[in-house]
Amino acid sequence: MPGFSRDDAAATLAERRYQAIGDILETVVTKGEGKWTYTDILDHVFLHRWLGIPIFLALLWAVFQFTFALSEPFMVMIEIIFGWLGGLAEGSISNPHLASFVAGGIFDGLGSVLVFVPPIFMLFLALSILEDSGYLSRAAFVMDRLMYRLGLHGRSFIPMMMGFGCTIPAIMATRSIEGEKDRMITILVSPLISCGARLPVYVLIAGALFGAESAGTVIFSIYLLGIALAIIMALIFRRTLFKGEPSPFVLELPAYSIPTAKTVIMHMWDRGKWFLVRAGTIILGTVIIVWFLSAHPWGATSGGELIENSYIASLGHFLEPVFRPFGWDWMAAVALLFGFLAKEVVVGTYGILLGVDEAFLGDSLVSLGLFTPLTGFAFMVFVLIYVPCVATIGIVAKEMNSYRWAGFVVAYLVALAFVVSGLIIGVGRLLGFS
Amino acid sequence: MTDFSIKTGKTIAIYASILGMICLAIGLVEIFGGSGETIPGDIFGGFVLVVMAATYLVGVKGTLRGKHEGLSFLIGGLFLTGVFGVLYLLMMGADGLMYLLGEAEALPALADARPAIWIFILSLPLACRVRSLTARMTW
Repeated sequence: MPGFSRDDAAATLAERRYQAIGDILETVVTKGEGKWTYTDILDHVFLHRWLGIPIFLALLWAVFQFTFALSEPFMVMIEIIFGWLGGLAEGSISNPHLASFVAGGIFDGLGSVLVFVPPIFMLFLALSILEDSGYLSRAAFVMDRLMYRLGLHGRSFIPMMMGFGCTIPAIMATRSIEGEKDRMITILVSPLISCGARLPVYVLIAGALFGAESAGTVIFSIYLLGIALAIIMALIFRRTLFKGEPSPFVLELPAYSIPTAKTVIMHMWDRGKWFLVRAGTIILGTVIIVWFLSAHPWGATSGGELIENSYIASLGHFLEPVFRPFGWDWMAAVALLFGFLAKEVVVGTYGILLGVDEAFLGDSLVSLGLFTPLTGFAFMVFVLIYVPCVATIGIVAKEMNSYRWAGFVVAYLVALAFVVSGLIIGVGRLLGFS
Repeated sequence: MTDFSIKTGKTIAIYASILGMICLAIGLVEIFGGSGETIPGDIFGGFVLVVMAATYLVGVKGTLRGKHEGLSFLIGGLFLTGVFGVLYLLMMGADGLMYLLGEAEALPALADARPAIWIFILSLPLACRVRSLTARMTW
């Protein structure tokens, strides 16, 4: 029928369905005069046309303040433990090869990643509270208004929110999106939502360069930038590769409830344990490779002391020209290269290359002049955008049933990372930042 | 027809509007660079206070008329005030823990408390009043 699309039919069906539900409820439910539940009260405010999005942003900011500020003392405790263990290993293992491996590879490399267990668990704790209270679906609802106006699908925001934890389940959750074009767009932009694996990089660099007071706000701004870029890229894909109108969005909002400690902790553990599993598998494997390349040739590096003579330095110097315009040295180049396997490895690589205790890693980045606030911020943005981890690329290929699309995701993200980080550096320098 | 007495609504609305104006003033000071150590410059912290202020102030008119719709915004504002008050209190606790671990020079003093904590304390009488009103009201 001309002028009547499939989407119109779906919207009309949904409208009729809810009308029928309303008619039935009217006959079987007796409502008190002006009776409001607490869900009605809170929805009146949280779903408000003008206040809904600012309240969502305020609560999201609270999540990152909570994550960064409250995890700090626990990170210090882990740093103290790993520092003590590293000293013990160096003092008690007589074989220099083994001592270098245990102290440099395991305690400096893996230890510098494990220090970030508290912020990752804190982030998941806060997200679990938001989800179990019923607020997270409201966030999708308030964002739907904005997203629909931009020609995007409201349901896309739910997988995006899941992407704060890990991009893989977020991409798998796009199966719930009915429109094929909407689903494809959501998959393509999901890697731009910052996952938990990138958090250690932000916590390390923001904590070192911006201080404890401002680090939470800086990290929040990185997450906001990720959301903004996802929306912009989705809009570009909608206008170019996947032309058409988004399909209608019907969302059931659950009643608000007070989350119980047991379920919140269970959800936090379910989401957070992947980090511990990754630490014992892919991260450990990668830091061993990084340690090997940084300590060999054994003779030329004097057992890993002269890192400039190592294989990894040669690799880094080869890649350095690509990143030099951003003010990043060869260490950043190899950290980004190995971060392709798992983002946490960026931190582990710095731990090995600088050969310092976890407690002094941030200070070393500053004292050695590896980053200024401007180049550090651009580096965090680069880590946010550039290639997702190998596992995510695999799931993109599987869900889109095409290795070409997976290749496209890698290519556009790398290009975008260079463009956005370059813009930050360029504009920052124009404004007088070094 | 009103949902609760206009007299009660008036008292609550006046208190909420004062609280809202305080939030707005401090929020704007935080956004525009702060003032000394009492109100530190913090763009997002200031933004949060402005959102809180807007939530309170949007509800004032409806509450003055004795309407549920107005009161719901005050409850929303109180909820946000509680969330951020507790958040900053927890952050002070974390600072205290950092001192015990030897990572901070001094224990956080009462003077270091962020304005959101004082606003949270100021909001408690309003929270009690709203609670007692909603408890005996048919919603």
